Amino acid sequence: MSIALFRRPAVLTVEADEAFVTLAGVTKVFGNGKRATTALDSVSLELSKGEFVCILGTSGCGKSTLLSLVAGLDKVTSGTIEIADGRPAVMFQEPALLPWLTVRRNVELPMRLRKVETDERNKAVNRLLSMVGLIDFADHRPHQLSGGMRQRCALARALAQDSELLLMDEPFAALDALTRDQLHDDLNRIWQETGKTIIFVTHNVREAVRLGDRVVLMTPRPGRVAQIWDVQITRPRELDSFEVSGLAHEITARLRAGAAGNGAQ
Amino acid sequence: MERNRLQRVFRASWPRLVAIGILVGIWQLLVVVGVQSGGAGGAGEALPGPGDAIAEIGYLVHIGVLVPALLQTLERAAIGYALALVMGTAIGLAVVRIPVLRAGVGSLLAGLQSLPSVVWVPFAILFLGDFAVYFVVIMGAFPSIAMGLMSSYDNVPPLTFSLARSMGARGPGYYRHFIFSATLPGYVAGMKQAWAFSWRSLMAAELIIGSTASTGLGQILDNGRALGDLPEMFAALLAILVVGIAVNDLLFAPLERGLLRRRGLVPA
Repeated sequence: MSIALFRRPAVLTVEADEAFVTLAGVTKVFGNGKRATTALDSVSLELSKGEFVCILGTSGCGKSTLLSLVAGLDKVTSGTIEIADGRPAVMFQEPALLPWLTVRRNVELPMRLRKVETDERNKAVNRLLSMVGLIDFADHRPHQLSGGMRQRCALARALAQDSELLLMDEPFAALDALTRDQLHDDLNRIWQETGKTIIFVTHNVREAVRLGDRVVLMTPRPGRVAQIWDVQITRPRELDSFEVSGLAHEITARLRAGAAGNGAQ
Repeated sequence: MERNRLQRVFRASWPRLVAIGILVGIWQLLVVVGVQSGGAGGAGEALPGPGDAIAEIGYLVHIGVLVPALLQTLERAAIGYALALVMGTAIGLAVVRIPVLRAGVGSLLAGLQSLPSVVWVPFAILFLGDFAVYFVVIMGAFPSIAMGLMSSYDNVPPLTFSLARSMGARGPGYYRHFIFSATLPGYVAGMKQAWAFSWRSLMAAELIIGSTASTGLGQILDNGRALGDLPEMFAALLAILVVGIAVNDLLFAPLERGLLRRRGLVPA
């Protein structure tokens, strides 16, 4: 097994109608009987290979539930989830680094579990650490790192998982604005370099517009797909650029309208 | 440089030295006041002072009694503790991994931990013969190890297990990289506590079971009592205290401290 870190091709070779991830009528109900709450109601979505999709919504709209279903950490009540390439890698809101391991050891853990040979593993880890800018901190322990560095480390570890699909659950929500901005740039670059398919969950409208090929807006109780935007803005995008602000404004308006609709019910 | 090191050692150890000094002072004071053994109708022998006890230790070493007894006791402690470690780890892991066992055995373990292990001595003598000492040590120590593992497991953030699952960790890799690593601090804390329990259980057992087979520190103490040899008793007491403290301070405390420091749980 090798770590696929090939460059993203200039022209996508995958045909547009060949779905890499397919969600069909995904429904999740927690509890049963009168206490039952529908977290997700018949969510359908297709992702092509190499696509970056942001799932946007207020808290409680089921976006994190959706992610843990795709990650295989929870089971659907009904509907199907198909992934062309095995087990996805997951990045959580908290870095979830193992405090007893150094940065290097944390990043190589998925490869150790897969029994990748030492030589190959070291090469891959060095490449990943350089990619996320942590090569000089390889022997530090998580508690010696800043919040941003911890998430970089978590990102490198997720990339080490040899999965073409990367799931990110509000990974930058706990960071300060400047660090987050930097990590957006880095994630954009790394995505272009590695050609991973990414599902990125967030409640931050601008973040979604800045990063995604598509933005999927979800409305809560029960969680449903409200609207999907294709983001045509050229990369790399700036957080305060006219285009990003404009689309963010439009999506926020739709979000507010949805919330007002819910309030009236 | 050398001077700095001396200063550091002094700064780290003076509170302990003062505490020991106060204790020895109180002891000496009791001797000066003239405390005697025997109470009502006793023999009325004078309390030996700290100096007498240390001189007696020298004498017991000189006549070749103390060192073999110390080694005998340490051997018992080591064997009993090792068996308790194996048993405690196995039971702790089983309880953690099998929900039915947790419901059944979990509370029983807590009960066993609070049960003074000396109550096992009469049963052990009746049923186990030469193995009695080890049995008492095991019963004293293994619940702490199992409980340490159990409570440590409960304190692992759920996210760590989600992470393990999302990485597809299973089998030996899952145990090695997640279960053992994550529970290590609580496990070591349990080991440390288990040492204290096993040491006191061993002393109780040696005192009660007496010198049937071979002499340990507890039997020296009991022998002193039987012969009315107060300095011998105090010498044995001192030796028991010093061993208990030394094993903790030289073995378990550094182990735990190093572990916590590496994980950023205490300042370096």
